[in-house]
Amino acid sequence: MISIRGLSKTYTGGVRALHNINLDVPAGEFLVILGPSGAGKSTLLRCINRLVDPSEGKVFHDGAEITGHRGDLRAIRRQFGMVFQQFNLVKRLSVLTNVLTGRLGYRSVWRSLAYSFPEADKRIAIECLARVNMDNKAFQRADTLSGGEQQRVAIARALAQQPTVILADEPVASLDPKIARQVLGYLREATQELGITVLCNLHQVDYAREFSERVVGMSRGSVVFEGTAAALTEDILHRIYYREPGETVKEEA
Amino acid sequence: MSTAITRPADSIIEELAARKRWRLHHIAFAGVVIAFLAWCADGVDLRPKELGAALPAIGEYFYRMAPPKWEFAEVLWKPAVETLYIALWGNVIALVIGLPLGVLAAANVTRSAVLRNCAKAVLNFLRSVSELIWAIFFVAAVGLGPFPGALALGVNFGGILGRLYAEALENIDNGPVEALQATGASRLQVIVYAMFPQALPQFVTYNLYWFEVGVRSATVLGMVGAGGIGFELVTTIRLFEWRETGVVLLLILAMVTLIDLASTWIRSRIY
Repeated sequence: MISIRGLSKTYTGGVRALHNINLDVPAGEFLVILGPSGAGKSTLLRCINRLVDPSEGKVFHDGAEITGHRGDLRAIRRQFGMVFQQFNLVKRLSVLTNVLTGRLGYRSVWRSLAYSFPEADKRIAIECLARVNMDNKAFQRADTLSGGEQQRVAIARALAQQPTVILADEPVASLDPKIARQVLGYLREATQELGITVLCNLHQVDYAREFSERVVGMSRGSVVFEGTAAALTEDILHRIYYREPGETVKEEA
Repeated sequence: MSTAITRPADSIIEELAARKRWRLHHIAFAGVVIAFLAWCADGVDLRPKELGAALPAIGEYFYRMAPPKWEFAEVLWKPAVETLYIALWGNVIALVIGLPLGVLAAANVTRSAVLRNCAKAVLNFLRSVSELIWAIFFVAAVGLGPFPGALALGVNFGGILGRLYAEALENIDNGPVEALQATGASRLQVIVYAMFPQALPQFVTYNLYWFEVGVRSATVLGMVGAGGIGFELVTTIRLFEWRETGVVLLLILAMVTLIDLASTWIRSRIY
């Protein structure tokens, strides 16, 4: 269970990305965060795994506070797998090595510097590759793969962390619709089987309707909708995508 | 999508021409540059006339080198191989010195501005003293031979390569770096798994090129007693043994050409 309380983020330079976000995500849920570019979706996800430090507010994960204390960042981050719009694989490394990097957070620095991993880690990585049906390309270099294949490897990398939560930041924004559905399918299937919570940023309403258990609508740094995909009416979508600056927001019950 | 014309194409074409037109300040700037070069020409005492008169004399030197005295190659092959050794070990030492300093000098790796600037200052120092001067120091320190030559190349090239490594690291894609941070990888792990693989082709290219430069430099180091083929080169010139000099120059040309071919081949394999 992730609890977000009063979360705000203003970047240096004055851009206000998030404003007083309150949100609870129960364990195992597939939550879609829907909103236009610039709504603050990416910043929200990055505040959860501390790639971005919030200006105000707190994030709790199973009752433990993630924000604030300087604590062990590695231990915090490895609980959250992350998937990116641009896949962000290390292109010159093999598929398998890319997935193994998901294990780095658990391993001592010195051994991993020699590109050496324990056999247990290799088995985890291969199992994760099999989940996204990419184990047959384990030794191929990442830059020889298509976009959809790269994103599947990126999902395997996130799974290799054995995370409790996966944060997916526009995971299918640079893929065509057919491949996008396939990739989201892999993401949903793997996380359901493993009981992993997913927070998935999207800007396409269709995919939100198809894959989400619950939808949070964001606009200009605020949550403007919370509910099931079925409750996404034209009126609400208009509010998420076309809200004018200064327009008052009715809080959704 | 609306395709309504908001501005006539003719007006855009006119503006394009106007933007290209030489303005007064362009001409003034060109004038200043030419004046500056002319002033500097006085400083270097440029005398094109005398150069023109001397050209046949230079040609004369090359004329005397023919035909090369091929038997001399028998004496030369040992210092030639030594030159390659010096260039090779000079590069190894340069790598050992330049890589850690380059990592410390890269802005996306080293957050601390103090540390970064210290690394840059050391690199600047190593680079600004030329390998010939370093060779004089090292000959004084460890005696004559190829060892001070390799040290001199290593220290000077370390300063150059360190700077180039830092630039290669600064130009990598940040996406994989962020992805590895998100896995909980430590700083050092991120450097080794996300940054080095991306910068590696650049690293290899720079090292291969500076190996070639090293062979050429090592031919000069012999002049100050730091080993290599340079000693034979200077000796034959001083003794007016032009046909021997010709052999030395051809051998250097052959070595540089071979290394160039080899490095082209290696680079085509690494990308």
